[in-house]
Amino acid sequence: MPHADYACGSAAHAVSRRGFLATAGATAALGTAGFASPDSTAALARNQKRVLVVYLAGGVSQFETWDPKPGTDTGGPFRAISTSVPGTQICELLPHTAARMHRLAVVRSLNSTTPDHAQGERVMLTGRRPEAGIEYPHLGAVAAKMLGGERAEMPGHIHILPGGGGGRADATFLGPQFASVPVPDGRPPANLLRPSGLTADADRARDALRQSLTDRFSRSRRSAASEAYAASFAQAERVFNRADVFDVDRESLKTAERYGRHDFGRHLLLARRLLEAGVSYVKVSHSNYDTHHENFDFHIEQLGEFDRPFAALLDDLSDRGMLESTLVVVMSEMGRTPKINERFGRDHWSNGWSVVLGGAGIKGGAVVGRTNANGTTIADREVGPWHLFHTYLRAVGLDPERNFHPNQRPVPVADPRASAISEILA
Amino acid sequence: MPARPGPAAALLILLFAPAAVADEPLHARIDKLIAAGHPSHTKLAAPPADDGEFLRRATLDLTGTIPSSAEVTAFFADADPGKRTKTIDRLLAAPGYPRRMAQAFDVILMERRKDTRVPRAAWETYLRDTFTENRPYDAFAREILSADGTDAKTRPAAKFFLDRDGEPNLITRDLGRVFLGRNLGCAQCHDHPTVADYKQADYYGIQAFINRTFLFPNAQVPTAVIAEKADGEVIFTSVFDKSKKASATGPRMPGLKPLDEPKAEKGKEYAVAPAKDVRPVPTYSRRERLAAAVTSPENPVFARTAVNRLWALVLGRGLIDPVDQDHADNPPSHPELLDLLAREFVAREYDVKWLVREIALTRAYQRSSEVPAALTDVPPDRYLVGPLKPLAAEQLAYALSEATGNTSADAKAAPLVAAFRGVYGGAAGEPDDGTTQTLSQTLFLKNGPVVRGLTQPKAGNLADRLGKLPPDRAADELFLSVLTRRPTADEKTDVTAALTRTPAADRPAFCGELVWALVTSAEFRFNH
Repeated sequence: MPHADYACGSAAHAVSRRGFLATAGATAALGTAGFASPDSTAALARNQKRVLVVYLAGGVSQFETWDPKPGTDTGGPFRAISTSVPGTQICELLPHTAARMHRLAVVRSLNSTTPDHAQGERVMLTGRRPEAGIEYPHLGAVAAKMLGGERAEMPGHIHILPGGGGGRADATFLGPQFASVPVPDGRPPANLLRPSGLTADADRARDALRQSLTDRFSRSRRSAASEAYAASFAQAERVFNRADVFDVDRESLKTAERYGRHDFGRHLLLARRLLEAGVSYVKVSHSNYDTHHENFDFHIEQLGEFDRPFAALLDDLSDRGMLESTLVVVMSEMGRTPKINERFGRDHWSNGWSVVLGGAGIKGGAVVGRTNANGTTIADREVGPWHLFHTYLRAVGLDPERNFHPNQRPVPVADPRASAISEILA
Repeated sequence: MPARPGPAAALLILLFAPAAVADEPLHARIDKLIAAGHPSHTKLAAPPADDGEFLRRATLDLTGTIPSSAEVTAFFADADPGKRTKTIDRLLAAPGYPRRMAQAFDVILMERRKDTRVPRAAWETYLRDTFTENRPYDAFAREILSADGTDAKTRPAAKFFLDRDGEPNLITRDLGRVFLGRNLGCAQCHDHPTVADYKQADYYGIQAFINRTFLFPNAQVPTAVIAEKADGEVIFTSVFDKSKKASATGPRMPGLKPLDEPKAEKGKEYAVAPAKDVRPVPTYSRRERLAAAVTSPENPVFARTAVNRLWALVLGRGLIDPVDQDHADNPPSHPELLDLLAREFVAREYDVKWLVREIALTRAYQRSSEVPAALTDVPPDRYLVGPLKPLAAEQLAYALSEATGNTSADAKAAPLVAAFRGVYGGAAGEPDDGTTQTLSQTLFLKNGPVVRGLTQPKAGNLADRLGKLPPDRAADELFLSVLTRRPTADEKTDVTAALTRTPAADRPAFCGELVWALVTSAEFRFNH
């Protein structure tokens, strides 16, 4: 592969044409001039707010997690245990989380109105009731736009999920630059790495030519679209330069152990690395809680996987001084029925279940709302996904009453008929 | 010309088209109205595009790809002063024209929704046939709005309904957006909060055409067809109305009178009565009246919306912008021009190819997209410079194949087009203006195997051919093939020098990288 020494030589020449096909070294110097240094990135990261959503896919049971009802007809076989917050008990399947309950707030009176996987997820993540004629952006896209913006160093909306797939229309009118970048199975984004056979020098050389042509074109035809196009290559370069962020093997063995040597542990550890690198919103999906059969066995298994890494993550965020700036949310698309069916399962349920929040802007140890003695109905302070959506935004210092302006018409960021759950805001 | 337009349209033509100017071709009249839209238009407007800029632009707009280097060379060498018109006519007669129009109208009508009940291949064939035959646009719209999916021959036209699951709110909204230039989605639950013209009653007037329509046997079946009941009224209440006053409406186009509807005789409501596993057929069908109501000359927004969308397709921006926001507070940039286009389109019996040709012949379309140095303020709706448009997913796929010398028959191009649709297609059901660039798109270009497979040398492709040419000729061929222009002196010097210094064995791979740099430049990404 040719490199380095096929330049035209003259320094003046190189500068006047922005180093088009100039030596790789010179190009690299020009290319990095506009990037933030690692130091300033770190400073930025400390002040910047971020959001982590741990999404227990399939619909986690509130009975086996945050709202146990031991000894009732609906309660199931598990005990409730004390937590680090006097008077607050959670299910015995979460001992590590229980010891960190002072960092978390529980909302136990959620009526999400939609006991369905796809629709429930949409309602929970958009904070909106379905409306014909408009698709609302998901929380991740909203956070990416409002916390990170167009020029963010890293993509602002990342979804770590087990298996393949991912990549969906979750940014709607905010535009595809805020749509989730899927990280299936914790692998880095597709096509992040240089193809084999292309050396770093050759890559820089070809990129210098691309850049020079783009510059020449943009001089007389500048537009928002052409600028966005040019900027996207710089962003790809920055993400490539930080490809190591996606590599959880760089963590110590001890850290890896604390998070657990399984997919969810690795994914949560990756989420921490991404948040540290300045990503505005990370969603980690943990599958699968859709326990129509054998609800109790499955929750032992699933929560056994969830509990330790989640506690480790809270510790790490706290130790790094990042918990004050990172909102952590544990949610699902719905909860599960009080009634235990004949297959020892629990079915879909939206009328009275729990969501947990912690970190930025959240009053640790708070408990809001109550279900009745056996969890069959909401007894106090009913809230909906719309109230939660307001709360998430307030917690990270955003104004949910602002408007977006798709097609020049105002669309409130959060449902104007709702407001934040002030009792859990710090 | 047969007197097919209704009496109202005929009257309009008589009133507004004096014989003297009627002889002047439409493109000249368009340019006059564009010039009149800015106080110093003639002084400030950019000069005509140069040959390369023109040829690339017209080829992309009219056939959805870029010209081959042979076509570029031949065009440059042609001394005929009428060569641009000749080229436009050649492109409009080429098979690329119906393909390009089919791609554009697929997106306009379906907005990248999933193919559920009408397979892609059948739909594309239907669209291509439509534009190959240059079927009148009103007839095309009537097919889309009336096909019920029961006849295999016309089933593809029913895709608009079928692949929207027959969902009445979705169809009401999209029908309004696509054919009537109105996004009434916000008027479903109340009068539009910010657009005074968009009334809830208009929304439900459209919905009343289809409120009895459903998918038979049900929406879960991929072979479902459209069926209709004989009864069902549309009643609506504004969520803002505290008194909860219910209103009723029959089928009605926005702003027009409700249809006169026959009263079905008791007991004779059905030609085929509903029964288990039987598709009912009502004696009187509301849905059957939809196509005629939408395309009626008494519904002038139909032609107005059609010409505005065709204008936007070619010029990159509608005279009404966005194209689905036609209302009093968002007037057209050139109201007289829009009226003229709509009138002439109707007079020409909704001849799409004729209108596209006239628009392509305008000076407004053929202007350079380079902003003249003296021009500091470039209002996008004054057409002072040529349009700058991101290539659609399909254009990008075809242009990349052509540029890199990997052309193949359309059938073989399908997987490549599908790959580009996957990365560049945008969100299903969302209008996509292609003005943003995602990380996954950029990584797809930078490192993805699809683009690398096209750019790196393979027997007979561009990188392979360049590797065998003397360096200076390779530089020319590279720029002509990819960017439809010759390299500047500097570009030629640099590329020639770089190639000369590259050992012969490395040259083909290096040529692949040069091709990559050109196809990923903004100059390639945009139609300019």
